[in-house]
Order: sequence, then C-alpha cells, then structure tokens
Amino acid sequence: MIAAVLLAAAMATSDGQTTDAMDAGHGHMHHMSSPTHQVESHQMEPSHHHHAHQMNADGMVMNANDSVLPRDCQEISEDVSFEIMAGTEFAHGPGDTFGMSQHNLEAQPCSRITVTFMNHDDIRHQWMVHGLPRYLYPGGMFHLEANGGAAITGTFIVPSDRKTYLVHCDMSQHMEKGMKAQLKVGGGDGDLWSIPGISENYIHANDSGLTIGQALGAALLAFVVVLVVPRWRRKGP
Amino acid sequence: MSRRSLFVVSLILTVLLTPPAWHPEPVRIQLARWFGPGTYVSPPPSLPSAAFEPETFCPADLAGWRSSQTIGDVTIRASRSCEPDNPFAVAAFVRGTNNVAEGVLQQSGLTPDAVTKGEDLDGDGDPDVIHLRLEVAELNGASPDNTEPVVQFPIAPGVKPGFWVFAPKMAGMATENFESLRARPMLRLPSPVIRVEQGDRIEITLENSHYMPHTIHFHGVDHPFVDESGEGNDGVPIASEMPVMPGRDRTYNLTPRQAGTMFYHCHVQPHLHIMMGLQGMFVVEENAPDNWVQTLNVGGGQVRAPSKGVQEEYDREYDLHYFDIDTELNEIIQSSNDPRVITDEMHNRYDITDATFDLFTVNGRSFPYTFRESLVSVEPDERVRLRVLNGGSGPLALHTHGHKPTITAFDGVPVPTPARITRDVFMLSSAQRVDLTLDTTNDGLHSFGSGIWLMHDHQQKGTTTDGIGPGGNISAIVYGDYQGEDGWPLTQGMPYDLFFTEAYYKGLLPLWEAYAGDSFSPPAPASRFHLRTLAFALAVGATLGFGLLLLRGRT
Repeated sequence: MIAAVLLAAAMATSDGQTTDAMDAGHGHMHHMSSPTHQVESHQMEPSHHHHAHQMNADGMVMNANDSVLPRDCQEISEDVSFEIMAGTEFAHGPGDTFGMSQHNLEAQPCSRITVTFMNHDDIRHQWMVHGLPRYLYPGGMFHLEANGGAAITGTFIVPSDRKTYLVHCDMSQHMEKGMKAQLKVGGGDGDLWSIPGISENYIHANDSGLTIGQALGAALLAFVVVLVVPRWRRKGP
Repeated sequence: MSRRSLFVVSLILTVLLTPPAWHPEPVRIQLARWFGPGTYVSPPPSLPSAAFEPETFCPADLAGWRSSQTIGDVTIRASRSCEPDNPFAVAAFVRGTNNVAEGVLQQSGLTPDAVTKGEDLDGDGDPDVIHLRLEVAELNGASPDNTEPVVQFPIAPGVKPGFWVFAPKMAGMATENFESLRARPMLRLPSPVIRVEQGDRIEITLENSHYMPHTIHFHGVDHPFVDESGEGNDGVPIASEMPVMPGRDRTYNLTPRQAGTMFYHCHVQPHLHIMMGLQGMFVVEENAPDNWVQTLNVGGGQVRAPSKGVQEEYDREYDLHYFDIDTELNEIIQSSNDPRVITDEMHNRYDITDATFDLFTVNGRSFPYTFRESLVSVEPDERVRLRVLNGGSGPLALHTHGHKPTITAFDGVPVPTPARITRDVFMLSSAQRVDLTLDTTNDGLHSFGSGIWLMHDHQQKGTTTDGIGPGGNISAIVYGDYQGEDGWPLTQGMPYDLFFTEAYYKGLLPLWEAYAGDSFSPPAPASRFHLRTLAFALAVGATLGFGLLLLRGRT
C-alpha cells in the first residue's frame, strides 16, 4: 500500500503524467478568467501552426515559441539563454553512460528561454521539456533534437506557475542512463527523482546502503550485546 | 493404564484407522469382501475461472495504411495485416529519405539522413549509392523511475523480455507519446530487414546510441575484410576492429556481388548480443533496370514494394525471421540500471551453456500476436516467395500445413533446378537461411486448397510461450476467402479470447473453459475435514510416543 502511494507520488513528480493533467486544468482556468496576451499583436494564431516541426540536417526543433505568451503571463519577465552540451563525456557519475553539461536549470516565471543544445557525440541526442501548457505546446512539450556533432537552438516561453519541469533525452535508455535534468521555474515545486547529481533514483538506487549480510550481522551483534551486558553487570567486576 | 497397554491400544487404533487407500492390496480385497466398497465421497468442485478482459485482436486501421496506395511515385501494395507497415516509411525506404517530399518524410517518422539514395552508377534508372544509418535501441529495459519496463514491446500478451535491436534512424521520442510506455511502431523486434540491389555501393553507419559497445557483422553478404582506408569492415572485435563505443559511430562499406538472403548481427560478445536481438535479415536483390528496392522492411513480413526481380517471378514476397529467447539472459537488463552491473551479470554470471530457451518468435512476435502481423496472406494459383532466417540459438523445423514449398536457395546460394527439394518440413540450424517458393496451385502436392493453414516450428516447444501453448512461433498461410475485412483470419475452431490475455500465458486460465465449461478446470484444493486421516495420524504419533516411553522404561 505504502509502495503504491510512493509510486503514485513518484509518477506525479518524475513522470509528468499528473503534472500534465494539472497543466490542462490551469490552462482552462486562465482561459476563462483572462485574455491571452501577445508580444506582437499580429501573431494571433497558436504558435504551433508556425513552428510545430522544423527539421534539417542538424536536427529539429518542435513547438518553438518566441512570441506567444502563456495565458497567465502579462509580459515576458526576462530573456534567458542556456548552452547545454550533451553526450557521453558529460555522463555525471559512475554507471551513467550519457549526460548533459547542466542537469539543473532555473528560470523566472514567464521568462523566454533560448536553449542552444550542442551534441558532442556522433549520435542523436534530445533536449525535451515536458509539462508545458498544451494549448500552446502540442503534447505539452518543447523539443530540440541534435544530430551527432551538431548544435540546435530553440526558444520557448514558460508560464507563471512555480513548477519543476522534466527535461530529458527520450531516446531509448538515454534518460535512464544519465540524460535527465530539471527546469525550475520560479524556484520550482521540488526536485524530481533520479536527477544525476541532485536526487536519488526512485528504484534501482545507486547505493542501497547496508547489504543484507551487514544488516543481519549488525542485528545479531545488538542481540548478543543485549543478552550479555546485563549478565556481566550483575556479576560485576 | 500401564504404558504397555496404552502402546497396544494406540497400535491397534493405528492399524484400524489406516486409510483404505493405503492398505496392501490383499487386505483391501479381503476387507471389501467382508464389508463392501467404501462409501462415496464427492470430489472437490472445479475452481471458478477468474474474470478476464481480452485485448483487441485486430486494432482498427484508422490511418488507412492497409490499402494499396501510391505515395510520391512509389506504388505500395495492399497489406492484409491487422498491423500494416507505415506506407510513408515504405515510400521513404524506396525513394530515400533525401528524395521524398517533406510531408512524406514527416509521416514516415524518419530523419532526413536515415536512408539516403544517390547516384545511378550503371545508368539503369535506379540509385546505386545507398547510405543507411542504424541506431541501437533497448526495448523493455530498466528505469530508475519505473517498476515497469520502459519502451515496451510485448511479444505476446504481457510477455516483455528485454531486447536490443538495430533500429532505423527516427526523429523524436522512443515511445508512442509521453504518457505511454509502449515503443513507437517502428521501434521493435526483430532488427529490420535490410534490402539492397546487387552491385550497389552501400554504406551502413552504425550510430551506437546504446550504453554497450556494438558492431555490425555482415554474415554471408559479400564485403571486404577492411575498407579502402584499411579500417576493419567485418565487425569482429577479436579479428578486425575495436567495437563502436556508446555515442560513437562507424561506417561499413559493401558492394555485394552476389544476390541472396543473408544475415547481419552484432559481433561483440556474439553469444549474448545476438541473442539480445541484435540480428536481422539482409537481402541482396538481383540487379535489374529501374529497380528501386525497399531498403528496410521493418518488422519483416510482407514486402510492400518488392524488387523488379521478385515482381517478375512472384506474386508476393514475405520475410520470415525466426528467433528464440532465453528469458534468463534477456531479463538481466531489467534487473539493474547500472551498465557495469549488467555487464558483470551478462559476461561473468550468465552461462549460455546452461541455457534453456523459453520464448519462440517469428518476426518479433509470438502467437497470438503473429496472427495480427505475421500471416502469409495468399490467393489461389500464386507463386509466393518466402525468405526464412533462423536467427535463434536452436534449430528450427518449420512445417507448413497444407503446402509443400520448394527450396530455391540455401544460405543465399541458388539450388540448381533439378536439385530443388519440395517438402513440408524445413530444418534450419542457427543462422541458416532458405528461400522457398510457395505455390498455391491446388494440386494435392503444392497446396491442398484454400484455408487457414498453420505454419510453425515442429519442434514442439517452439509452439509454446515458456511452455504454454498455443504460443511461440505459430503463424499461418491464409487464403483471402478466409480473411476478414480487417485482416483477422476467420478461424472456425476455439475462441481466441483466452489467448489475448496476460493471465493465460502466466498459466492462470483453464484452456477449454470457453466451450467445455469447467470440465477441465483445475479442482479446488480439498478443504473437507478428513477426520479419519487425522485420527490415524494421531494414533501413529501416540504409538511412537508410547513405544519410546516403553523403551526408556526398560533401561
């Protein structure tokens, strides 16, 4: 039972499933209460009609948005840019195969974030954010994909809520083997699980502490001490 | 009472209470003569069956992928499969991802450099310079965030051993979408069939996107041991080259001079990596004018855009890749998220010489999923080409019900016409290939007529999924009049509901319940209070106890 609750909690924070659902709710609420604000008035269409999918020899950008404000933002609070390097040489710790130069990113609510994703490997890598509002980002995601040795740049605008977004490479086993990061907007709402250098794995812990043998040995030692010490004290020196 | 009399009383009780079934036969007969047979005792009732919800047998083809269509100028044949290949990907594999319209490329899911096709060297109207890129993907692997395997590819309901596969280079996510754990459709077992034209200049780049070192070895495909620069080109780490490390790539060069059905696989720790799924069929088609071949046939099965040579001689073409699995090996990658631990478990702990093979697949699936996508659909009076590869560890005794196909090539080498053998069981040892001609003329020899004719390994374990049948590599040759609009075969035997449940392959559901009621369901454990047996056991205990007291009293 406890395990199930823990699992649900982990899903809520690390899987993005519930956070996505929450987003949809937020979006709806704001739609009812406040009009959509735009940086440039002539770009009235949803941004994904313009930018859904740009692909070239270097890779692709999906759901780029440098102009349409989330419904809960009055204006862009700041322009930030990150240079993220990725590949096997950025693997964080022993047992990680892949990694990124930054596994923890921070930004202000309603900031416009430009990411330049530089792939130092010879294979594809991705920098994918999940949990963004779906009315602005189809599937709730913003996605950069860089071919081997290539760099890809893209921009997106985050909403106003304090939230920690999952950032990862969605190629099979790349997140699992090190390419997992988090983007904290407005300080975030806590750390996600299994972020290299930041948080412990939810399962398959990196270091499970005592082995069963050590634990049993320690328990036995305590048991013997409890039995022997009173006897020794009764007899006295 | 004295100890002695207590002992005697318990001894007498022991004899009297001995259950009749345990009496020596002469005693039973004599007792029956005196007292007649024992009274009737009702056996326990059958266990009630657990409720189950079968999966959809044949998912609806909402995208219209089954119909024949022309995309760009590529003609793609109709597919009668419940899970047809993506026709946009077929078009991109035929024309090259560099030559199709952007919309086609997007709907194919491939990257622009997945399969590029260039110059026509011999001026016969088709490209002869081909560059193919393959990645390495893990299916049903471990995750530090999830107790379930990730990037799931079930081979049968609920059966998800871990796999490593070569995969076409696709843009975007590995799963269907962010909410799903299931692998996207073209990320699957088996590694794709590679199809090239004889004499083409082929470059195959292995982009090692996996966390283990890998290579590609071209088994039976004409290739030089080293490439023009002297770099190893045979994929064998103990003879020709270092393995390709995670994140790195290597390009292999081939200009195959001979046509035929061949094989490719990883040659790093081959006893492990081949059995993890890093193996695929490699077909070299005969050179012909204007011969645009479908460079990849993802998942094997029907070739929806066959080569010129095949179109001239055959009505249809199917690639059939058989593969068996020892779950003890394939589950190692699910037991840890640390490649160092996985390496140690695989290389130093797992022992293939002690292996027993549990799962049997054709084109990456076991029955009943084979009926969704690996049927050989035919019509009467056709000639159908079957290319068969046994990529498994054990031999394959492939039997075709109702048909006797003819072997036209062994291991990619044609058999001269007078030496060709027509039979109904084809024995393939590990890594062997045969080309078969399936003639559907109803003459009592080549075909017995229309129907749903099973096609399966006749080594009986091959028809099971970890010992539970029907499962394994059972598929079928199906005639059009026995196939529904959606592609599902119109079987007239047992209902399939049971087979489309996870519980059935866990051994939790009785086999014949759907039509035999609970007649063959397991009996409930006997719960009646066996007074006599209990009294007998007490008497035995008392006899032993009093006997022991008597013995101690003497000393």
